[in-house]
Amino acid sequence: MSSSAGESTSLLRRIAGQHSNELGLLVAILAVVAATTIFSDAYREKPLQNAQEILRQTSLLGVFALGAAIVIISGGIDLSSGSVIAFSGAICASIMLALAPHDASGAPDTNNLGLGIIAIAIAGTLLVGFLIGTLHAWLITVVGLPPFVATLASLVGLRSLARVMVQEVTTVLMPTGRTTQIYIYDNAFNALGTRWWIPLVIFLVLSAACWVLLSRTVVGRHLYAMGGNENAARLSGIRTDHLKWLAYCLGAMTSSIAGILYMAEVGTAYPAVQGLGYELNAIAAAVVGGCSLQGGVGTIGGTMLGVVFLRVVIDAVAKLVKVGADEYQGIIVGVLVVLAVAFNELRRAGGGLRKQFFPGVLGLLAIGILSVLGGTVTTMMFGRGAGAIVFVGAIVVLAARKLAEYRAARRASQAVSS
Amino acid sequence: MTATVLSIQRIAKRYPGVQALADVSFDVRQGELLAVVGENGAGKSTLMKILAGVIPDYEGELALRGTPVRFAGTRDAETAGISIIHQELNLVEQLSAAANIFLGREKRNRFGLLDQAAMDREAARLLDDLECTIDARRPVGELRVGDQQLVEIAKALSIAADVLIMDEPTSALTESEVARLFRVIERLRQRGVTILYISHKMDEVFKLADRIVVLRDGRLVDVVERAAATPRGITHLMVGREIEETDLSRPRIQGDKVLEVRKLSLPWPGHARRWRLEDISFDLHRGEIVGVAGLMGAGRTELLECLFGASDVRPSGSIRLDGKLVDFKHPAEAKRAGIALVTEDRKRFGLFAEMNVGQNITVCTLDQATRGGLLRGRVEAEQARGIVKRFSVKTAGIEARITSLSGGNQQKAIIGRWLLAEPKVLLLDDPTRGVDVGAKAELYRLMDALCREGLGILVTSSELPELLTVCDRILVLCEGRLTAELSRAEATEQRIMEAATARQPAATA
Repeated sequence: MSSSAGESTSLLRRIAGQHSNELGLLVAILAVVAATTIFSDAYREKPLQNAQEILRQTSLLGVFALGAAIVIISGGIDLSSGSVIAFSGAICASIMLALAPHDASGAPDTNNLGLGIIAIAIAGTLLVGFLIGTLHAWLITVVGLPPFVATLASLVGLRSLARVMVQEVTTVLMPTGRTTQIYIYDNAFNALGTRWWIPLVIFLVLSAACWVLLSRTVVGRHLYAMGGNENAARLSGIRTDHLKWLAYCLGAMTSSIAGILYMAEVGTAYPAVQGLGYELNAIAAAVVGGCSLQGGVGTIGGTMLGVVFLRVVIDAVAKLVKVGADEYQGIIVGVLVVLAVAFNELRRAGGGLRKQFFPGVLGLLAIGILSVLGGTVTTMMFGRGAGAIVFVGAIVVLAARKLAEYRAARRASQAVSS
Repeated sequence: MTATVLSIQRIAKRYPGVQALADVSFDVRQGELLAVVGENGAGKSTLMKILAGVIPDYEGELALRGTPVRFAGTRDAETAGISIIHQELNLVEQLSAAANIFLGREKRNRFGLLDQAAMDREAARLLDDLECTIDARRPVGELRVGDQQLVEIAKALSIAADVLIMDEPTSALTESEVARLFRVIERLRQRGVTILYISHKMDEVFKLADRIVVLRDGRLVDVVERAAATPRGITHLMVGREIEETDLSRPRIQGDKVLEVRKLSLPWPGHARRWRLEDISFDLHRGEIVGVAGLMGAGRTELLECLFGASDVRPSGSIRLDGKLVDFKHPAEAKRAGIALVTEDRKRFGLFAEMNVGQNITVCTLDQATRGGLLRGRVEAEQARGIVKRFSVKTAGIEARITSLSGGNQQKAIIGRWLLAEPKVLLLDDPTRGVDVGAKAELYRLMDALCREGLGILVTSSELPELLTVCDRILVLCEGRLTAELSRAEATEQRIMEAATARQPAATA
């Protein structure tokens, strides 16, 4: 009996050791939710609505964050997600518009499309996602562009193309002529984005599929291998070009799914603004979730928690600030990514003061910059008093850290002479 | 009694889970050449990195000429006159030799701008001193490894280092470059430079050293005068047991022809020498080990890559495997046809550092461990454990990190990875590089055993005695051409070297 108890504790410890990143995120998520519940009335007054809204938003981001994570694990990067979302929404809406029955006045009527048309539109959009991923793979493996450049070209190009396309489509199909948006009124379709549990189910199913792919199949293992050491993978007889094709297709197709959902949510394809900047949210979620931008490291579970964490923090700020919360999203994402990577660096160095964050003049300036940044942001969120407290507090804390780092370094180098 | 230049007292260094060094103390005398030997993982490199300021946090004390010192970085150590030449050279390939020598200490003219001419002049003088005839303005990336190493030595001399640490300096050098290096070492010693020389190779150690420091498992075993030591005795101290001479003399039975290479040529686009490999023909039989000898750049690695479908440019000529014409466009096709390649540079082309030992072993043959498209963890683990057991890979388990293994055990894991694919032909590119003596003998026996099981093995090596020990036949390459094919009886170091330098141009640039 005692030996089995010992085994189970060591098993627990092993799980904790292997998944320390995931456990840390879980604790952080609970802490943020708890703090928001304490400091804001919103969660206490309408717990159900808030939970559903967070889950819906999490799922929408999560769908294409999964694709981003797979690309990152395979050693690449996909910057195009936001534009693929916009492009996919435009494609999906265009197909629906083209196939929609006409009303008495001869204009396409999108109120009652029927499942057939919706299915065709979704299938067509996924096909487009596959083709975008294929184009990326061709640019990267055959032409030899770095992934950064290939997907950056799509990031810029696809949104522009979607905007032009929407105008052309509306010119041809709508009696009212050229517009910059396409409206879809079908309730069944719009439910895809507005009913909270539908994105959630899609997200969970996709997560399960991606988890099986990465953790339980040969292809998944080979993706990790390629991300960790591409040369060694190729010389082990692994078809790295095929794997990249798969990874970038998954990246683009998950973005296409997200594009359909986002478009359904508002019943509008509006490529000028839809999905703008979302690629960085997805990459941020993956990185916060433990994926290394060097490739070869990361998990689906971690990425899921990364997405939840990102959304929970964004929502917490929205609840606490109340006014103009949307504008804060970028700041939050930026700060979280820096913190996540800094935290990983610290852990790799062995924790404590082993990692110097503020050495020399650069460190001194960094302390100033961070304090001013923190103070300014807090001022704008909560007023001048809080801003001043954060500004002074940050200076004190960071300066203390610098001093401690300096002392630790000196102690190490003077251990002999003293 | 000569003065002590460097006193090492109770040095210890712990990494998570590993005691790399424990309680190491000895003195380095002024002007001596002190060899530091030990098996892989004995702590030689860690100790040297501490001495050179590369590793700033450790326990214990260092004293330089009686004064306690603690280096926070290599710059501190260099200022104090200690310089290290790493096994993997630390040069910026795009910069010229001169720029590398003065990197971080650039000479400036009175306007504060770089004084290129002065640096080139000084660098040329330093290099000339070292019998190195290269142009100091050439980018280091274009130089041969031996010359690159001399650039590092010139750098050390330019900062007036009087303690020079050399970490396995000959591991990538050809015989003639080794001879030159030894002459340089002799000249440095005449100038009074103290040298700490890390090596695996007993012949070098006994040729050069005044005293020998033996480390084992992070501890100091002994410091012995060279005159009072024997290679066998030192080896014994290193491994803690006698190593029986590998006896591979029992004749092997040669089987059918498995590989037939005819007129194989590999173009070299945009290069003065138009062919990396030119017109190479040879056969390989089952149950036969054929060695490929040649200087650095002779085309050994390229030849193996061609056979494995891994060359950047497609070769011409014909390759027959079991009589069937093959033309691999990708290593995956070569693998399926029954060819395996164990690459030369483990870290860059072989290991998956983020994966554990088991995953590293099974990565090529995961298809065998699936059912319905899904991986079966237990089958995979059995595969990996089988290899670990069969090759006695020393590891805490298949879950251990591959980077926690010594070089020799990593190599065994990688060879095992390929044997799971059940190849007919095994290509080994310098398999014992960076592997200690004990593990080398084990690898030889392993090769012999595999060969007796009917595998055809093609092996390259930069160490001739090694090829003479394990091979039935030796092919000699010189600048991409096959200049000799010697049977075991015919082959001597002398004849191989003659063939390897047969087409060497008179003026070596």
